[in-house]
Amino acid sequence: MTTEELFQVITELEPSAKQSEKTSDRPTVEVPPEALVALMQKLRDDPRLSFNMLLAHTAVDWLEERLFEMVYQLYSPQNQQYLAVLVYVPRNNPVVPTISSIWRIAEFQEREVYDLLGVLYDEHPDLRRLFLEDDWTGFPLRKSYQDDFILERPK
Amino acid sequence: MSVNITTLDERTRVTSEADSALDTEEYFVNMGPQHPATHGVLRMVLKLDGETIKEVIPVLGYIHRSIEKICEHSTYRQIVHLTDRMDYLSSIMNNWAVSLTVEKAANIELTERIEYIRTIVAELERIHSHQVAWGVMGMDLGAFTPFLYGFRDRELVTDILEETIGARLTMNYIQPGGVMFDIHPNFVKKVKEYIAYFRPKLDEYEDLMSGNPIIQQRLRDVGTMDGETALSYGATGPVLRASRVPYDLRKIEPYGVYGKADFNVAIGTAGDCWDRYYVRIEEMRQSIRIIEQLIDNIPEGKFMVKKPAVKIKVPEGRYYGHVETARGVLGVFIVSQGKDIPYRMYFRTPNFHNLWCTTAIAPGGRIGDLVAITASLDLVIPDIDR
Amino acid sequence: MGLVKKEEYAFDTMPGVDVVLTKIDYVVNWARSNSLWPLTFGTSCCAIEMLMATGGPRHDLARFGAEVTRPSPRQADLLILAGTIVKRMAPRLRTLYDQMAEPRYVIATGACTISGGPFLYHSYSTIRGADEIIPVDVYVPGCPPRPESLLHGLLTLQKLIKEGQTIRKPGVRHKPVISEIPEGVSREDITAEMVELLEHDSVVNIEETLGNLERPTGI
Repeated sequence: MTTEELFQVITELEPSAKQSEKTSDRPTVEVPPEALVALMQKLRDDPRLSFNMLLAHTAVDWLEERLFEMVYQLYSPQNQQYLAVLVYVPRNNPVVPTISSIWRIAEFQEREVYDLLGVLYDEHPDLRRLFLEDDWTGFPLRKSYQDDFILERPK
Repeated sequence: MSVNITTLDERTRVTSEADSALDTEEYFVNMGPQHPATHGVLRMVLKLDGETIKEVIPVLGYIHRSIEKICEHSTYRQIVHLTDRMDYLSSIMNNWAVSLTVEKAANIELTERIEYIRTIVAELERIHSHQVAWGVMGMDLGAFTPFLYGFRDRELVTDILEETIGARLTMNYIQPGGVMFDIHPNFVKKVKEYIAYFRPKLDEYEDLMSGNPIIQQRLRDVGTMDGETALSYGATGPVLRASRVPYDLRKIEPYGVYGKADFNVAIGTAGDCWDRYYVRIEEMRQSIRIIEQLIDNIPEGKFMVKKPAVKIKVPEGRYYGHVETARGVLGVFIVSQGKDIPYRMYFRTPNFHNLWCTTAIAPGGRIGDLVAITASLDLVIPDIDR
Repeated sequence: MGLVKKEEYAFDTMPGVDVVLTKIDYVVNWARSNSLWPLTFGTSCCAIEMLMATGGPRHDLARFGAEVTRPSPRQADLLILAGTIVKRMAPRLRTLYDQMAEPRYVIATGACTISGGPFLYHSYSTIRGADEIIPVDVYVPGCPPRPESLLHGLLTLQKLIKEGQTIRKPGVRHKPVISEIPEGVSREDITAEMVELLEHDSVVNIEETLGNLERPTGI
């Protein structure tokens, strides 16, 4: 399946999903948060696509644009096809629907993103800190994170 | 909309009361973070009914060293040495993952020689990693001899690598734009000698452990996981392949010179601990085959196309690259703004994803089975926590 | 009598009779130093080299009487710290140390347990040296150290125990602080000075050196 065909199938399945204009080395689509779960379900279950591996899920903190970029890396062993799905949420109210009902691993990847970047997941079955203690304040991978403990490397 | 943030205390509260006259009650037991069978500082809170496991709650973070934060302040060459310390048993392959992604993004052309050297040292390291996995599995299941056998043979691999690289464990060898040093003049000879030495030893491994009735009983039909569950839990590497999914990046999208080598992907049939154990034995055989085919054909050429002093700038964009390490797929996700340091770096580590399989396959079994399961998953904890 | 010759400082021999005199402390310390039971405490990379490879067939820790690794702190008296200590692990490490039976000794191996190592800067979770939490007797540098280094560290500890000089109170060793470069001095100046010193140290005037040597006598 070529990249054009892939985008064609995706827009057919979910009209709100658009090919991303961001530079990326993998085929990339952008989708609004409301349509994420529906799109992901279709990406996995549609026999033409069958993206049944969620390779990675993480987030990027764009401080200047005041956005969180949620990145989902999918792979389809059947078509040997990669796809990156991007979702943008505002930085002051970062809430994304969970996709842990589609891939079990998403539950834990999402917990990691919550722990380090403070993105909240709607309807998540067990949203709590993963690496840090439950009483840790702040989200260390945010660009605005400040901590007196951190040592700067001398110039 | 419902966002509900919980804590570990809430998760581990006893909910069920004693039922009937038998007075059985669910209770929680801590396993780790200081426990000899968890290979490090993994903590698992077990919800038990008698000795039967009801639920496994892995608690992480006892070796969370904030590598991703440090990466945001480091150049790409500095990042390479941090990856050594994630999955230290496949440090060369971790270096490769970063180098491969950076090279692809920055359009760095490599010579044939670099690709050959990289493939051979990575396969040597895969062998030594599986030797450790094999030995430690024996130790977890109560047999000390496999540990001694595994480490006896591993020392010889580290000798070969040390002669070229200068390190025994954290190699820092593969760099964006080549490898740090050319191979030692003795390298080819020693690798051939090692292969001749190790092939009969592998049969010895089988004599020692594979046929042993205790090992068979501890591993067969324990922790069975079908392919669909494994995919859903994001498992990769020997864990996924043991569940009958022939997903191996070396075969699917060959990097290095894997495309030139003839080898088979080992897969299991039932997806139990035994299959995960045996897939590793078979992978050692296949690694020997790969090395044998490549070792005589290392072409002449440069071993480094970019001098280490050159700061590599990655053009703006998002880049994802991955390699097959000894434990599964290590993915590297770079968000660059065109500088010599990344804006955001994310490591999709194999052990983080493999770990959660315990929550699916351990419930219903006994605590002893959980030891076999964690041993068969071959977890390296700093790779989970980063 | 081989022992008396080897541990000369501890024994007095009486001429004429087969009797040696010593203090009970010496004997106890000698016994302790040769039967150290390490706790299996490995957090990261160093664990492979320090606990596994050193305990393995080639390097064989058993030669020095320290191969009985115990998973329970209550049965161990030597804590070999192998790997980074992070904030979440720190209280657990302190608990483990407190649970160990007296007398207890600590060997810190690797850059991370000495100073934080490669995770010193920009890290929000790495403890900068295990001696911020527990007293450390012997430091073994390296990232990770070779098994031989640990053996050397172990022999050093044995020597310290025999001489009765181990660190038992926290805060005995003061860590070097990270200071700013004084005004008027740049990093280049420091580098140039170091290069000069290195060259100075590595160039040897053979005539002068030979002149200072004591001539062998009796030839």
